[in-house]
Amino acid sequence: MKQQEGSTDLSLRRFIKNLGHITGGAALLATTPWLQSFTTEKLDEIKRDRTRVAMIGTGSRGLYHIHNMKNIKHAEIVALCDDYEPNLQAAKDLCPGAKTYRDYRKLLEDPNIDAVVISTPLNWHAPMVLDSLAAGKHTFCEKSMALTMEECKAIYDAYLKTDKVLYFGMQRLFDEKYVKALQMVHQGVIGDIVGMRCHWFRNHDWRRPVPKASLERKINWRLYWESSAGLMTELATHQLEVSNWALKRIPESVMGMGDIVHWKDGREVYDSVSLTYRYKNGVKTTYESLIANKFNGMGEQILGNKGTMELAKGEYYFEEPKPAAGILQLLEKAKSSVFEKIPVAGPSWVPEIAKEYKPHYVIEGKIDVNHGLSMIGVDNDGSEDLLSAFCQSAITGEQPKNIVEECYCSTILCLMGNKAMEEQRKIDFPEEYKIPYLNF
Amino acid sequence: MKDIIITAQRQKRELKIFSACFLLAFLLNVISIILFDTQWIELISHIGYVTVLAFFIYFFILFIRLLILGIGKLIFKKRK
Repeated sequence: MKQQEGSTDLSLRRFIKNLGHITGGAALLATTPWLQSFTTEKLDEIKRDRTRVAMIGTGSRGLYHIHNMKNIKHAEIVALCDDYEPNLQAAKDLCPGAKTYRDYRKLLEDPNIDAVVISTPLNWHAPMVLDSLAAGKHTFCEKSMALTMEECKAIYDAYLKTDKVLYFGMQRLFDEKYVKALQMVHQGVIGDIVGMRCHWFRNHDWRRPVPKASLERKINWRLYWESSAGLMTELATHQLEVSNWALKRIPESVMGMGDIVHWKDGREVYDSVSLTYRYKNGVKTTYESLIANKFNGMGEQILGNKGTMELAKGEYYFEEPKPAAGILQLLEKAKSSVFEKIPVAGPSWVPEIAKEYKPHYVIEGKIDVNHGLSMIGVDNDGSEDLLSAFCQSAITGEQPKNIVEECYCSTILCLMGNKAMEEQRKIDFPEEYKIPYLNF
Repeated sequence: MKDIIITAQRQKRELKIFSACFLLAFLLNVISIILFDTQWIELISHIGYVTVLAFFIYFFILFIRLLILGIGKLIFKKRK
């Protein structure tokens, strides 16, 4: 850990300040225990320290993290690693002082690296995370956790044994509007949760240009089962995590269908999925994603018997609008009885029209809404705060609660979804992959 | 030009009438809270509406009083 003269990260400090409940906010901490590690006092304690970070994987998401990392005062990028030269060069241009590697194992041998950030194709997550923890590095890995359930379990077991910090890129856990909205959900603002609807729509083939045919599977890794689990692990994992967070439960089973409907270009993963996850109490999360129509964008709706929370927009709606004050109702009634005309002809019924719901806002003022169209990431979606929190944890050595568990559960659920679609049957949460964290 | 003198006795009487109007408006608020099953906090939060209603009742009564006074004076003049 390097000592430095300077200030702590403003983004994380603003995030903590904006939440406004952290110190003494027992209600908030009960629903977001991972934030317990990030008080302003703790930020002050680390203001002279700096984590030496290595970036493994410098593709689009890796570069996005590098840009965010450069805003984090308590972090310094000291090494870069990628086995694809153009990506490595792009990262080198951003961090000219960093050492470069083509083999991540060599990078892990470097004793001057405290922490690594892994942004590689999904099939590389498990070997890299396991090797990184074994090499004694604090580790941040992009979502999802891994390509298979076995690998997820291996990572979870390693996490239980390690004394190093382990994070996964579940940025909604650090997105202010999600944190506040879910706190409201848990306070009962929208009543009992009776259902959840999540969707993610894009109109993009998910392809990247390939300079030569032999690089197709390397560059377009998202399109092939050997390196990707498709829409589920790339998109659904975030939203299933939020559903579980809202309900404080894990679904016990899933059914679904997946197909290649539009992009019939030799890809293997589905471009259209539709699934239903069922929780033990009967609540269901319906999940839909396709990448040939973007009209509906991205969204997560928590449906309560008293209202609906639109998490991505930071809005909520009440089923029945709050009644007017008694005195106003009385005056309105008096006015109606004096002035209202009694119809003597014409329709004797009131046509039933759709109700107009008035939105209420989780956070007042302008907020950043993620429409889900970007392949890389958006501003202020929690990614920078999550990264900053990781760098802080790498200094303090304090592992925040739930981050690994949340990623584990949502990844297993994604992989269950893929299995359900592949085998065309209901899949129950496998006994061998249940962990003590789960509440079914 | 003649000075208008409002005696202390008249001021007291008008204050008493307005207080009665305010009490009536306040009672209407209590009744409406019970009737429409709304929150008791409205006793405080909607005090502005109650005050406006009290003024409305007061001026309505004032109008009636002036009307009675005017008719009374007219009858008295005719008798003279």
